[in-house]
Amino acid sequence: MYLCTGKILRVNLTTRKISTLSTSDYKEWLGGHGLAVALFFDLVKAKSVGAFDPGNTLVIAPSYFSGSLVPAACRTEMVGIQAQSYPYEWFTRTNVGGRFANMCKYAGFDAIVLEGAAEKPTWINIVDSDVELVDATNLWGLDTVDTQKVIFKNVIGSAGYGKWRATKKGETIQRPAVLTIGPAGENRSRLGTVMTDMGNAFGQGGFGGVWGSKNLKAISVLGTGSVEVANPDELMQARIWAEKNYGADVDNPRINAWQEFITSHFGGHPNRGWAPYDQQRRASGCTGCHLNCRPRTSSGYGNESICVDALYYQNWDLSKHGKITEITGYAADLAQRLGINSFELHTELAYLKALYDKGVLGRGMKIDTDLPFEKIGEAEFIQQLLTQIAYRKGIGNDIAEGIPRAAQRWGRYREDTESGIMAAMFWGYPVHYDTRAEVYWGYASIVGARDINCHDFNVPAYWMPSLDIPAKKTPIVTAEQVAKWVGEMPPYHDPEMMNFATSNIYSVHMARTTAWLLHYSTFWKQTCGLCDNAFADFVNPYGPNNRGITPEGELKFFKAATGRKISFEESLEMGRKMHNLSKAIWTLQGRHRDMEVFPDYVFSVDTEGTSYVPGEPPSYYMPTKENGKWDYRNVVPRHLDRKKFEEWKTRYYELEGWDPKTGWQKEKVLKDLGLDKAASELKATGKLK
Amino acid sequence: MGKDNGETKHNGMTRRDFVKISTTVAAALGGAAALTLPSRAQAADTQTAPASKKFLIVDQKKCAGCMSCMLACSMVHEGSSNLSSARIQIIDDSFAEFPNDVEIAVCRQCADPACYYACPLQDKALCIDPKTGVRYINKKECIGCRKCIEACHFTPSRISFNLKHKVALKCDMCQDTPFWKQTGKQACVEVCPQNAIKFTSEQPCGHKEYNVNMRGQGWAKLGLPTD
Repeated sequence: MYLCTGKILRVNLTTRKISTLSTSDYKEWLGGHGLAVALFFDLVKAKSVGAFDPGNTLVIAPSYFSGSLVPAACRTEMVGIQAQSYPYEWFTRTNVGGRFANMCKYAGFDAIVLEGAAEKPTWINIVDSDVELVDATNLWGLDTVDTQKVIFKNVIGSAGYGKWRATKKGETIQRPAVLTIGPAGENRSRLGTVMTDMGNAFGQGGFGGVWGSKNLKAISVLGTGSVEVANPDELMQARIWAEKNYGADVDNPRINAWQEFITSHFGGHPNRGWAPYDQQRRASGCTGCHLNCRPRTSSGYGNESICVDALYYQNWDLSKHGKITEITGYAADLAQRLGINSFELHTELAYLKALYDKGVLGRGMKIDTDLPFEKIGEAEFIQQLLTQIAYRKGIGNDIAEGIPRAAQRWGRYREDTESGIMAAMFWGYPVHYDTRAEVYWGYASIVGARDINCHDFNVPAYWMPSLDIPAKKTPIVTAEQVAKWVGEMPPYHDPEMMNFATSNIYSVHMARTTAWLLHYSTFWKQTCGLCDNAFADFVNPYGPNNRGITPEGELKFFKAATGRKISFEESLEMGRKMHNLSKAIWTLQGRHRDMEVFPDYVFSVDTEGTSYVPGEPPSYYMPTKENGKWDYRNVVPRHLDRKKFEEWKTRYYELEGWDPKTGWQKEKVLKDLGLDKAASELKATGKLK
Repeated sequence: MGKDNGETKHNGMTRRDFVKISTTVAAALGGAAALTLPSRAQAADTQTAPASKKFLIVDQKKCAGCMSCMLACSMVHEGSSNLSSARIQIIDDSFAEFPNDVEIAVCRQCADPACYYACPLQDKALCIDPKTGVRYINKKECIGCRKCIEACHFTPSRISFNLKHKVALKCDMCQDTPFWKQTGKQACVEVCPQNAIKFTSEQPCGHKEYNVNMRGQGWAKLGLPTD
């Protein structure tokens, strides 16, 4: 089997039994998410188990393409019952870059199944298929960086990094790749992340806390093995073709306003704007990447942190100091070291400050805290807040449960979700792209189990027009052209999928937008492992006529690496199958359509958008078609209509072939997809239509 | 010397021994050693290894540490991606400060090829291409003695070792890529997304000419340092 090592590692932390499964038994699921969800479904009999229950099983699976030369594919998927979502702990997925995916395969495994809970702190040492459970008592309490350094030393030995040394099967100068939790995870925080290297996190899902509940501190992989592909020459040619025709020209970059901000397309520029406080910095990449979006700085502060990891404290720093200082990088590092989800911190800071300003939270207030809000923006404030969260001190003990659960404890949940000052939007996850404007983002999240975090349509549908138009620039691709390109995509061939006019946002077209996003992402990004920062690629200033590499690139890489020629429609169908297996798990957990709702403020409070240009009013420009004419138009202020959203749900369920009354799947659909086992299990619980 | 019967020993001393002893003495005596021992250039002259006409030069500050070069290198030579089989190595440290966080360890096709001199099967296993001067390993003849690896002037050695097949692996400037049909180009150069590795036919002289600044105005437009 190309791209696979042939073995899946199974570790029972309770019994300390180490065994393997054959990847060939899961051949149809390829790798990454597909493989992980299939393993979870088969191995977990009680799917309604709680996140912190020892019966919760986690599956970590390097992406199908990882280890090979396919660009931007060194991604690792983890699935299991999450701790973050509210009010239910849904089964979900999370994903990380860095070096781990490739090294895991080189170390001999296509996936790692973690069952049970260790009696005492433990880490797993994997070197070229040799697996050892090691006492982690000496690591418990260390932050993620120090943990990795100790493990590096333990695995590499006295030779030191960068010198040749032998394993049983080969020689290497490389360090192991290590996944580890910090103190937040150890203390079972629902904000706990699992980190690798400096700035790469399994961020969403609160799986750091789940690891902590299992007494699992770290997994280290070091390997000297190979990943075989079907046609090396073809893959080499495909990689060069992709870079030359769609990759950024770093020596002659074409910079538009939106590219100053966002790299979520194949031609994204290296390290755009992260760590602006340090002019001496490197653009750094995950293994095999062509984008290299992460920074490394001369001080080391902010190394590898991008996006919200990098900027969650930036505006507070800017407000306090009049410029972005190294404190922004310090804050990024601190969250990574303690293993705290920066994305939640980003929204949480605004919420805590709002409560402080209302006189509800502060010294001697109803929510009593000694946090020095007068110093927000300074290193001292963020150090105190993050330390309290990681070690569950003061109100940190509440916040460690995630903001929705903290608000519940403080008796504020109802009031603050009605007003929207607590901007949890989907299953308790913080607002990302606002579903009141960019509707498909919220739709895909709420019919899923987390913030969907898939930027496939996000560049043409939001960033490009929303940055260019207020800056008085003309987007390089018209709204009509974007709709045409998206409309060429099977299986729907529907340009109206890009029509974000209010008259269209509850339509079957938007159901197709949502389904396409879920099926595409499940297959190409979460299973094959193409990074969300590069795929899907619809608009690309380096592509012919500014057109991106999708779908030609994906298909070329798949063919070269596997030797199998598939159509794009087939790939989306495989994504649909994988998504349906996750849906079956949610239903077995108790999911019903009535649960799939947004908080009240989404239906009553307008979103205003954002102002990126000083002096310009806030806005949210998206492709719309009005009176038969396509254009980019400002779609805000807007909020959703509750009744019409319910009608949209019906359209979406019908599109997926699910029962509109319950949201449950139908037997025929599952059997047609080859998901007979899922159909049987659902039938046995009376949740199959 | 490279041509004299494939032997490396002269007066009971191998070339490698000579270099190592010279280096040791020079280190012990400091600057004074240069007055009493032949310079490396002079020593190379006396050994007469034909010069290479193909070299790789790199920009250590431009490199992203992504290891795409390593994956490509092993794939075009071995048919699979394998960090250990790559003839170019990236040493990447996420916790370190720029620019000390990345090192590209690339074979220099040395004017003074210690690996070549050290090989007991010189011109059979470790060879010099008569047309291009490229120093390469003929895997079929390599006996896996590791002398070339030990002789390399650099740490880590620019020659890796395949433990399974007991052969040494060395950069051949992609003259023999059984799994890549394109010829005349180097896989690492072609694949590097940062354009941080370049080919040159001019013999670089010393560390500064192998490690150059390839960051121009375009790089500055990206907000990245050019100094």
